[in-house]
Amino acid sequence: MGAPKKSAAAAAAARVSDDPEELARVPLQAVLLADSFTTKFRPITLERPKVLLPLVNVPMIEYTLAWLESAGVEEVFVFCCAHAKQVINYLESSQWFSQPKFSVTTIESHNSVSAGDALRFIYERNVIHGDFILISGDTVSNMSLTRVLQEHKERRKKDSNAVMTMVIKRSKLSPVTQQSRLGTDELFMAIDPDTKQLLYYEENTNHLKATLSLDKMLLIDNSSIRLHNDMQDCFIDICSPEVLSLFTDNFDYQHLRRHFVKGLLVDDIMGYKIYTHEIHSSYAARVDNYRAYDTISKDIIQRWTYPLVPDVLLLGNSTTKLERVGMYRASEIVQSRSAQIGPLTVIGTGTRIGDNTKISNSVIGKGCDIGSNVLIEGCHIWDNVTIEDGCQLRHSIVCDGVVMKSGAVLSPGVVLSFKVVIGQNFTAPAYSKVSLLPQPIKQDSDEELEYADNNSDVETSCAPDNMNGELTSELSEIQGSATSELGCGGVGYIWSICEGASEEEWRHSIAPISAEKLAELTQTTDDDLEFSNQDGNAPASSGELRSDALSDSEDDDEDTKNDSAYFEKEVEATFLRAVHENVQVDHVILEVNSLKLSCNMEFSACAGAIFYSMMKLALETPHKTTDELSRAVLNIFNSWHRLLKSYLSGKDEEIEVILKFEEMCSESAKELSPLFTQILHHLYDKELISEDAILGWEFEKQGAEESDRVFVRQAENFLQWLKEASEED
Amino acid sequence: MPDVQSLVIEFVLKLKKRKVEGSQATARQTAVLLRSVISQQRIGYTNQAGALIDAVKAVGEQLVAANPVELAVGNIVRRVLHIIREEDLSLTTAAMAGLNLSAVSDDDDDNDQDDHPVLSAAAVAAAARSTLRPPSLQTLLEDMPDPAAVPHTSSSGGDSEEKSKSADKSSRSRKLKHDVIEAVNELIEDIDTCHEQIAEQAVEHIHHNEVILTLGSSRTVLEFLYAAKEKKRSFRVFVAEGAPRYQGHLLAKELVARGLQTTLITDSAVFAMISRVNMVIVGAHAVMANGGVIAPVGLNMVALAAQRHAVPFVVLAGSHKLCPLYPHNPEVLLNELRSPSELLDFGEFSDCMDFGSGSGSPLIHVVNPTFDYVPPKLVSLFITDTGGHNPSYMYRLIADYYSADDLVLQRKAAASN
Amino acid sequence: MWRRSASFILDKRNDTGARPDFVSLSPPQTTASTMADTLQNPNAKVSAYYQTRAAHHGVVTSDWLAQAQAAVGKYSPESDVRSSSSAAADPGSGKPFSVIDEFNNWRKQPDLAEAVAAIRALAAVIRSSEATTMMELEIELKKASDSLKSWDTTSISLTAGCDLFMRYVTRTSALEYEDFNSAKSRLIERAEKFGEISYKARRIIAMLSQDFIFDGCTILVHGFSRVVLEVLKTAAQNKKLFRVLCTEGRPDRTGLRLSNELAKLDVPVKLLIDSAVAYSMDEIDMVFVGADGVVESGGIINMMGTYQIALVAHSMNKPVYVAAESYKFARLYPLDQKDMAPALRPIDFGVPIPSKVEVETSARDYTPPQYLTLLFTDLGVLTPSVVSDELIQLYL
Repeated sequence: MGAPKKSAAAAAAARVSDDPEELARVPLQAVLLADSFTTKFRPITLERPKVLLPLVNVPMIEYTLAWLESAGVEEVFVFCCAHAKQVINYLESSQWFSQPKFSVTTIESHNSVSAGDALRFIYERNVIHGDFILISGDTVSNMSLTRVLQEHKERRKKDSNAVMTMVIKRSKLSPVTQQSRLGTDELFMAIDPDTKQLLYYEENTNHLKATLSLDKMLLIDNSSIRLHNDMQDCFIDICSPEVLSLFTDNFDYQHLRRHFVKGLLVDDIMGYKIYTHEIHSSYAARVDNYRAYDTISKDIIQRWTYPLVPDVLLLGNSTTKLERVGMYRASEIVQSRSAQIGPLTVIGTGTRIGDNTKISNSVIGKGCDIGSNVLIEGCHIWDNVTIEDGCQLRHSIVCDGVVMKSGAVLSPGVVLSFKVVIGQNFTAPAYSKVSLLPQPIKQDSDEELEYADNNSDVETSCAPDNMNGELTSELSEIQGSATSELGCGGVGYIWSICEGASEEEWRHSIAPISAEKLAELTQTTDDDLEFSNQDGNAPASSGELRSDALSDSEDDDEDTKNDSAYFEKEVEATFLRAVHENVQVDHVILEVNSLKLSCNMEFSACAGAIFYSMMKLALETPHKTTDELSRAVLNIFNSWHRLLKSYLSGKDEEIEVILKFEEMCSESAKELSPLFTQILHHLYDKELISEDAILGWEFEKQGAEESDRVFVRQAENFLQWLKEASEED
Repeated sequence: MPDVQSLVIEFVLKLKKRKVEGSQATARQTAVLLRSVISQQRIGYTNQAGALIDAVKAVGEQLVAANPVELAVGNIVRRVLHIIREEDLSLTTAAMAGLNLSAVSDDDDDNDQDDHPVLSAAAVAAAARSTLRPPSLQTLLEDMPDPAAVPHTSSSGGDSEEKSKSADKSSRSRKLKHDVIEAVNELIEDIDTCHEQIAEQAVEHIHHNEVILTLGSSRTVLEFLYAAKEKKRSFRVFVAEGAPRYQGHLLAKELVARGLQTTLITDSAVFAMISRVNMVIVGAHAVMANGGVIAPVGLNMVALAAQRHAVPFVVLAGSHKLCPLYPHNPEVLLNELRSPSELLDFGEFSDCMDFGSGSGSPLIHVVNPTFDYVPPKLVSLFITDTGGHNPSYMYRLIADYYSADDLVLQRKAAASN
Repeated sequence: MWRRSASFILDKRNDTGARPDFVSLSPPQTTASTMADTLQNPNAKVSAYYQTRAAHHGVVTSDWLAQAQAAVGKYSPESDVRSSSSAAADPGSGKPFSVIDEFNNWRKQPDLAEAVAAIRALAAVIRSSEATTMMELEIELKKASDSLKSWDTTSISLTAGCDLFMRYVTRTSALEYEDFNSAKSRLIERAEKFGEISYKARRIIAMLSQDFIFDGCTILVHGFSRVVLEVLKTAAQNKKLFRVLCTEGRPDRTGLRLSNELAKLDVPVKLLIDSAVAYSMDEIDMVFVGADGVVESGGIINMMGTYQIALVAHSMNKPVYVAAESYKFARLYPLDQKDMAPALRPIDFGVPIPSKVEVETSARDYTPPQYLTLLFTDLGVLTPSVVSDELIQLYL
């Protein structure tokens, strides 16, 4: 296998054909983060860096590098932090360092605890000269970069603020679990359909919350925006050099998305822009968690990542043959005749399979020894694993060198870290994680702690070799303790699942979500469906905002109700304050306006509210007879008619006021009812309410039933008079 | 020779990444590569052919392993090996002539010395018979000369020459290499011109007012039809679009651009249309030794339809597509499954592929094979650059192009000791 | 004669327990006819073809090995009987040496093919001849081979072997620049080598056929053939996962023996009666048969039943593969089944057959080329049409 991957030349040739002017530029560079600064793959990642974990029997980083190299990247900077030594050793043993036109450089840092730090570190090294590709070492893709690069460069020519292009791919959410097939949380993106600019980026971590709030400015600034919740972030970014400097400027940027992207989106001072590039035919995905690991392996086996598939991309020096029903078999496999190997399985070199063993939907590594009557279903079994007779494995990950004594059972979602021994007839509980290393004491669900832990990783990682040594020493005393934990002869600690994570476990484990869990979920979702009486909260497929808005702000109506109530209160309060502290009318108007804006109300509502509060005031002023009351009202009108007037811009508002008044008379303030006509007359005199408004009101009331027309009849003669007056002139 | 090495590796990776499309391009590049390999190979005075053969075989193995599905690679490697053997043999026999003269001239040698060359002469003759033809009944009783045997005899010829003249030996070594490279150049020529040579025969096969049906897109077919049109033939062409890559669309475009009457139909309409068709003309990916064809997917169906209606099914194939191997289990081994994304949109179906729910086993499988195997009995005629042949005659062409002990290239020590 | 056939009956008796009296009556007829029969092949009813099969493949019994031993043992006494008789038959050699004698001696070793034996015998002729020119030698050999052929007209590979060697001799003599001695020594040397050539042939065939046996396939074999066994053996050694259906192969029941061999290799094997072929054809992926002879048409002559198996397979679109060493290529062109020297052998039906009833005792049939898919030979994988080409090349 001396040959492979030296095809930088080939790739270069391809690029020449693609865009010749590309070649004139600085060599295309890429930054590969060989450390996902998370603990999702604990406990495995305590002993081996994530990028070296085998994905369909090939270390993840191989996929990433192979892709970069075939996509025409010439310089790759591999940033190693946790387990840096292992990564570097691996790369040295691999072909990557001996490439003519494809140079791989490792950058080692021990104190970086986040992508942000990493990029800052790289910035200090000052190795990036032009646009570069920023990915993490666990990305699998077969997309061609030429188009997205071109787009990026053209945008840059037009607008130097377009610093980054994100690659996204369509992928629907599961309606039930509200998470993508890669196990990532629902992701809302607002994208300008014309310019493809990214306007909004929000990961919805709370799966029951079905609302999201957009800044109104978005709608003001952009003619139209497209809101997606069916897009998958591929974590492949085309960045301009500025990105690095940006990181150094804002030293608090840690997470690429949570901090950096959102940071850029919110700050409008610098006006940096992020664009998106959607890929359709080609594949791109990132191994973010166990579920993603499982899903992506299956995609690879189903050849979505062609040509990065086992039988074409010869990684490892044994050729794999694809046989019927998508079954990949490497050479020199010893298989019993009675063994049944189901579809979509990969079997590594030199593996031995015993009698009556059933294997389906699984990946089995090199040199494994599988006994007879074993059942393996949807598992990922790495190299040199020994599985004795009668074991049953379902949807679990089994790392290198694990030994399963006869009759052991793995329930779905189990993760066995390196060299663990499972005792005879022991049943590992679902979602349990077993490792030779004791679980770190502090349970970390939030960022900062992770960083701390990553450092601890570094320590362990620095000595992958003496690891074994200390392990062996450990084993002895583990023996005692662990036998109880893992059945007789078992070696290893079962990690307790912390409460915080337990909710996550079923989401992110490689095991499919159990039926009852799904049922329960559908239940809850249904509940909040009818709670928010709105049809099919099923993952709102992307569309123009209008169509999507309903999915997101489904609780408009009751919203508006209590909103208006709240508004009236506010207005009244302002008004009263104005009266008592006799504020200028203009100020009051100003305040009310702001209130109106904030609560997003109509003028009519304001008018109504103000009139209401006036009446309230009048009522509160001490009065014995209706005359006094009417006089009070009159006073108020005199002093405040300007305020009211400013909101009675048109007939509708005036009618609104009358209706309001009527409502009050009939409900809240009965004692006003006798005065109705009188006050109406006042209003008319004060030219607060025009003649045709009143007539219009009467006209509206035409159809209403008697009970409702009380006040119309009361105002009969007044109306009569009005009509005559109109006839006169 | 590091440069050649890097060339080889580069090409290997191109093949691996499936960056080289089409068997003609592949064949050509392979030939060019091998030529450079040969020219770089420095060879001693003795056993030159052996050295060359080994060098080429070594490279060839890598290439074939890189993309076992692209049979053109293996074909060309074998062709080159055959060329080397032939050239070497012609030289050797020439040498033998000289040798016999010398043997006659100096009689004073004692017996064994005398009949040593004689025996070697016999051996050479035997070698001649067995290298040029595949092993046959005639050579059954003679000692099967393994690949090494040929060079040995030639070198023994060299020894006896050494007595007489040592000057022309060096010239001979140069000559061999030179001849081989010449021959390889011719081979490349052939590959380049195969379209024209095939197209020349178009007139004999396509007649006025005929209806021709083809599927997918093949440059050979295009040239062929165009040539017929050039010769003032007027005919219609039905083009089946050739899902999932729909190269038929491109072909239709091309044909129309060249002014041919063209009708585009779906693959599924082939059977409906076939009754109106006079002849089916298609390209091939490779032609196996038994006359079977590895062809773009969908052609088997067309062939069956054609057979049902007794429509001649004609396959155009340049000689570089003739493969000396017999197909075993061709549907699986000689096929390539491409990415499902050619069939359906990932985003649209992503919810069907959510392994998070249900049993975790994917319920939707998308299979996208590239090739079909058309058994020989469905093929009426092959048109290669050497003319038309019927399927059962293919092995003869192959016997001309390849020598038997090159057949097993990748798996060593398999056959013919 | 008595002893031979009687003992033959005895053998039959102790393998298939109690036997009807009728067959015990039959040998007299046999021998009677033999007396009437030609001199050179004493018992023609039980043709030499069958004898060799009996010797090499053994009539399957509970202990067929012992059988084979017995068979071999029995030859020695009668071979000299025959030699005397045939010595009279061929005037070429006045001295006690006889080709047929030689031939039979060679033939005794179980895994030596008849053709090999024949060629060895001819080599012996060369060695013992004091001819001085190529011409004389050729004539002598011609005589010898003729007598060999005529001794057993039914064995195709014997005939083929002789023809092959004669061709070679003539061609060698055609190389003018050789002197007689070297030519002679060369001929002998090559003849000696031939045994190993034939063995190598089997290896080659086994290798060639490996690609065609894929994992999980089901193979139907008919009768017993050393080549086919070699093929399956190699496949098993290569850890191929396949199962084999064996026909019983009446009347020799050689299928039983093959199934024994396969069982030893623990290949899953299933035994069918010959008439169950069509019944089980649908679960079969390919048919593998050996051949007694491959004829100029590209068809094969093989044990009775091959033809109908090929027909069934063809009608169900299953490939029929033939494994045959190239020295079995014979200069015959049978136009139909009856158009070849019949190889007869008695069939015991286990029940008395009334003398009026005629019994078809021919042991071989001819399978036309269009029912064969490929032939695996040491010359490579060939289509039937190639075979006919080869033969024409050789003998034109």
